[in-house]
Amino acid sequence: MLVSPARLRKAGIVGMNHRNVKLIAPNNPRRLYPLVDDKLRTKELVSRAGLATPRLLGVVRSQGNVRELGEFLAGLGTGFVIKPAKGSGGRGILVVAGLREENFVKPSGELLSLAQVQHHASSTVSGLFSLGGRIDVAMIEEMVHFSNVFDGFSYQGVPDVRVIVYKGYPVMAMTRLSTRASDGKANLHQGAVGLGIDLATGQALAAVQHGRRLSHHPDTGRLLTELAVPRWPEFVRLASSCFEISGLGYLGVDIVLDRHKGPQILELNARPGLAIQVANGHGLMARLALVDGQVPGSLDAAGRAAFAMARFAASPQVSPA
Amino acid sequence: MSNKTLQVRLIVLTLFVVGLGAVLYKIFVLGFPLLPEKRQTVWAVEGHVSLQAQGGPLSVSLNMPDDSEYLQVMEISSTGDRGLRFAVDKEGPGRRATWQGEVEKGPVDIFLQGRVVRRDKGGGPGRQQRQEEPQLALEEAQQAAATALAKQVADRAGSWAKTQEMLRLFNSPNQPEAQLLLRQAGKLGGKMRLISAVLTQAGVKVARVKGLRLEKNSRNKKLQSFLEIEDDGRWLLVNPRTGKIEPGQDLLLWQEGSESVLEVVGGKESRLRLATLASQMMAGKSALAAARKAHHPLVDFSIYSLPLADQNTFKLLLLIPLGALVVVILRNLVGISTSGTFMPILIALVFLQTKIVTGMALFLVVVSVGLVLRSYLSHLNLLLVPRISAVLVFVIIIYVAISVVSNKLGFAAGLQVTFFPMIIISWTIERMCVLWEEEGGRDVLIQGSGSLLAASLIYLVMSNHYVSQLVYVFPELLLVVLAIIIMIGSYTGYRLSELRRFEPLVRP
Repeated sequence: MLVSPARLRKAGIVGMNHRNVKLIAPNNPRRLYPLVDDKLRTKELVSRAGLATPRLLGVVRSQGNVRELGEFLAGLGTGFVIKPAKGSGGRGILVVAGLREENFVKPSGELLSLAQVQHHASSTVSGLFSLGGRIDVAMIEEMVHFSNVFDGFSYQGVPDVRVIVYKGYPVMAMTRLSTRASDGKANLHQGAVGLGIDLATGQALAAVQHGRRLSHHPDTGRLLTELAVPRWPEFVRLASSCFEISGLGYLGVDIVLDRHKGPQILELNARPGLAIQVANGHGLMARLALVDGQVPGSLDAAGRAAFAMARFAASPQVSPA
Repeated sequence: MSNKTLQVRLIVLTLFVVGLGAVLYKIFVLGFPLLPEKRQTVWAVEGHVSLQAQGGPLSVSLNMPDDSEYLQVMEISSTGDRGLRFAVDKEGPGRRATWQGEVEKGPVDIFLQGRVVRRDKGGGPGRQQRQEEPQLALEEAQQAAATALAKQVADRAGSWAKTQEMLRLFNSPNQPEAQLLLRQAGKLGGKMRLISAVLTQAGVKVARVKGLRLEKNSRNKKLQSFLEIEDDGRWLLVNPRTGKIEPGQDLLLWQEGSESVLEVVGGKESRLRLATLASQMMAGKSALAAARKAHHPLVDFSIYSLPLADQNTFKLLLLIPLGALVVVILRNLVGISTSGTFMPILIALVFLQTKIVTGMALFLVVVSVGLVLRSYLSHLNLLLVPRISAVLVFVIIIYVAISVVSNKLGFAAGLQVTFFPMIIISWTIERMCVLWEEEGGRDVLIQGSGSLLAASLIYLVMSNHYVSQLVYVFPELLLVVLAIIIMIGSYTGYRLSELRRFEPLVRP
């Protein structure tokens, strides 16, 4: 079923062409892309600015490093994640929850030998998971102890929260819940559930799967509107701070919640998609216009976060006639 | 930012005005037809003489094509280099084009161009006279063989039947007399000369001609020999290789009897190559307009001024921007995703050669077999460059397999698989396989069918006679295409697919 462009315009929906020409092209200078496309550089950037992010434990830069891996990992004493710095689509991420004698234990309880972990790191370095097969590096970072507030809201894995930040102002947020249909992947057009999050409160809004509204998770049966993200103001502030460190005017910030340490920045995205509008049941245009009306540089990150929480509340949902 | 918008608008406006202005000027002032009134075939014919000049005076003489009952030759012109003087020595049959002058040592290229139109119904007068064949001096054994052959056809009634039988004898490998003569054909002035001499002896009035078959689009052609025989007071054109009567409508007569085709004094390694290009739609009117205004800068500095063989290339090149326009429209206005931006254009170019159904079938076979083979490579965890190289080898193997198998089964169409650009196909397979692993088979189907849809649409645009004629006659339209592309590039409205995608947002 098609709707008229006039109705979309009236509802303030941003389309792909508008995003590319009006949001990305003028606000995201090309030279800044490597900062966010290389997760290692992002990590350095984020931690140098003192923002919360899973701690970087080490980097495997060469096949030589792979041989030293056993000694290094044995001395860690914590859970860790090995992932490619230039990976795409969540490929090549290996999570190890802890050590049991000589072996590594995955969160599922599966055991891995050191050789298997080394092989994974070696494949990563040789570019198996990176875009275009370029030589990559493998990052080893602290495992996130996911908070259990998301339990039952996702079929597999733990969802992160995506915040769109426009010129430093968080304008919209959502979380993507994987389903059996999406094969455990958090990709909306493969059938993951998009769940809008109210910027003011962290409370879940209407959920959408395959373009249709739904109230319960299709696999776990949980009532989705029950989700309330705790420590929400910290999420908004973290997202807002990413503007200064990245310089990108149209930015997607992915944040996870650690049980002990609170919200942690996972990665940044210079080309965030528009599905967030569908998940929120709301267009972006009016919020972008409001931000455009602000004097640039007049507020710091905390100020912008406060502005966003005050002005971009979802509550009086106006459904267009 | 608004400064940029202004710039875009200015550029678009300028391109539109210049492009459309030039088109309108050509239509209204120079008299080019926008849409041809009648589908008349005009062949542009080009003879390309290349030779190595020895230095000093050079004289080149080329036999010129003659009018026939069906065809009329007009607008003969020459573009030669090195300042040679061009002249046509006389009118009527047997006329020759000559080039003379002093040249330095080195390669010389001379082009003789002309246009050939089909005569209106009823035809022209045709040629009245035929050149008499001089007697062929034969040795005793050869004479005996010729007489024997003449005797074998003597009992046939009529010249045509005699000729048919004679050609059968000469084309049969088991005819001792004919084979004896043919072995010495080189010394006796060639096979055609020999056949005509024996036919004369059998009492058939015969003449030899050489001609060029007018084809849609051909390069590097040579003249072909034909026989003319008189049968019941009419002259028939016979193809000695097939033994059949030639209708002659598409045969441009170039040389008769023993005239030489090309004579060169002061040069060596001379070669004559011929090219033809048919324009279905460009009626005589536009050809005449082009010729009449040949010195107008808009025409003189256009594709028309290029050698014919290169005009053929440009005819295709001019269509590629239209393919790009279709891709831009599909991606940015409709929102269809294709695998690889310009891959559909390349596939469409292949479709132009293979015809769409064959092309589509071959593409599907190659890509799906490639995907199956490539998915096996995934298990081996290879690095990118070796992996894509392996896919390339697979693709070549698939090409060979398809060609051989289809040839054995009797489908000649399978051989056309080689038109597909293998590097592009390899990348397509690689990309689709990665897509399959990362996003699932559904996305592969969406992108694959998107690409095929785009390729088919581009094919429809490119293969359309009106469209191709329009851009060929008015290459200025490319500026308009550019303007539209730039305009779409700054379009910020919704895509057609988004009217569906964002529909839940405005659902009451």
